[in-house]
Amino acid sequence: MSINETIYFIIILGVSTIGMVRYKLLTIPFKILAFSVLFTLFWEVLAEFSAVLYKTNALISHFQGVSGYIFHAIIFYYLFRDTTLKKIVLFSIFFVVIFAVINGVFIQKAFNDFPTYVYLITNGLSVIFCLFFFKQMLQYALNVNIVRQSVFWYNTGILLFSATMFLNMGLTNYYAKHQWGRDIIFYLWFCNDCLLNVLIGVALLTDNKENNIHHA
Amino acid sequence: MRSDDIRFVVLSATLLFAAVIGFIIYFIILYRNRQLKNKQEQDEREAAYRQELLQTQIEIQEQTLEHISKEIHDNITQVLSFVKLSMATIGNTLDNDKKAKINESRELIAQTITDLRDLSKSLSFEYIAQIGLVKTIEQEAERINKSRLLKISLLTEGQIYSLGEQRELVLFRIYQEAINNALKYAGAKHFKISLQYQADLFNLTLEDDGAGFSPDLLNNKSGSGLRNMENRAALIGGKATIDSAPGDGCRINVSLNPFKQLYTDGGPHPNSFS
Repeated sequence: MSINETIYFIIILGVSTIGMVRYKLLTIPFKILAFSVLFTLFWEVLAEFSAVLYKTNALISHFQGVSGYIFHAIIFYYLFRDTTLKKIVLFSIFFVVIFAVINGVFIQKAFNDFPTYVYLITNGLSVIFCLFFFKQMLQYALNVNIVRQSVFWYNTGILLFSATMFLNMGLTNYYAKHQWGRDIIFYLWFCNDCLLNVLIGVALLTDNKENNIHHA
Repeated sequence: MRSDDIRFVVLSATLLFAAVIGFIIYFIILYRNRQLKNKQEQDEREAAYRQELLQTQIEIQEQTLEHISKEIHDNITQVLSFVKLSMATIGNTLDNDKKAKINESRELIAQTITDLRDLSKSLSFEYIAQIGLVKTIEQEAERINKSRLLKISLLTEGQIYSLGEQRELVLFRIYQEAINNALKYAGAKHFKISLQYQADLFNLTLEDDGAGFSPDLLNNKSGSGLRNMENRAALIGGKATIDSAPGDGCRINVSLNPFKQLYTDGGPHPNSFS
């Protein structure tokens, strides 16, 4: 395991621990978030084993991409106030799952190819949902310092991650096509992942159902 | 991989990252502005609510006092007048000693009727509105001076003008509260009233030489009468300042701009309680 992977695992482990320790204090969407981090840890461990045993973790990526999106979509479902947006979120889960299955079977085969199309769609939807949620935060501005609002940290993390993942996806495909070394792309990916999980950790630390400072 | 490509990747990632960070910072600024605006609106709503509540309390109070004033005038003084007349009738049939006692009682009843009429007037909003602030205070001061409980001196400066019925009523109630405090709590011997009428400013100063009190009293429950004065003054667009120290008497100053509109939301002119 490289240093980068070690750092990444430590961060995820730390954030998972924070989530489980503070679980009783969390509101419902952030309880789901705590579980999503645990799932991420599970998939990452499985991906490592798969990489060692089968020299590829493409199949794990197919499952990880969809499950990660489902968790985050459900979190947005709880956070949104607008019923139309809630319905759109639910519909998007259905759409992503169907597309992921079709993609894995016919387009980017599950055992060989990484599901970059699924990541593109899920990250695109995440950016849209993040922007809508920022709009909701402005509409229903609370009288609480923004740095104490867990939803701000969570939304910022998802927006930063999803927006930069577009660049990563595009560059990955481009570099693969030209058969160039992709170390820098993987390094960007690693930084992105770490930043996302750190911000999720801050969100889990600041969330508290007793304060009831949610937007939903 | 060429160094150009690495530079391209790094630059693209940095630009995109910077754009997103820039958006986040912009959002934080927007959010903060929205919070400030919401807080301001909330404060305005609370202030309007408090003013409305105080206005309602004062209206109810004035209605009650008006009712009591009418009862005193219509019922109690009438009954006492009747008793006085009856005693006059009895007095004619008695011997001199008893006649003297009856006459004494009649004088006491006459005095009581006069005092009750004065009290009724001081409670009545209509009467105060009719004769104006200065005359009302003069009559009250005279009544108290006669009782010898307190020695009141009244000084007016400048050309007297009307401040409007509502303002004058509230100022009179502040004066009554101050007198009440001077008599009940301060043990004062002297009370000075000063009314200064200037072109763009009116000042009412009420000063006693009583026991005084600590400024902390204004923040306590027991200082609610004093806070009431401040609130009433604010209600009519004025400002009441209360200065006192233990052993140093009490000085109350109410100042207001007679031309300042009381309601800025286009509400009805507050010259009468309806």
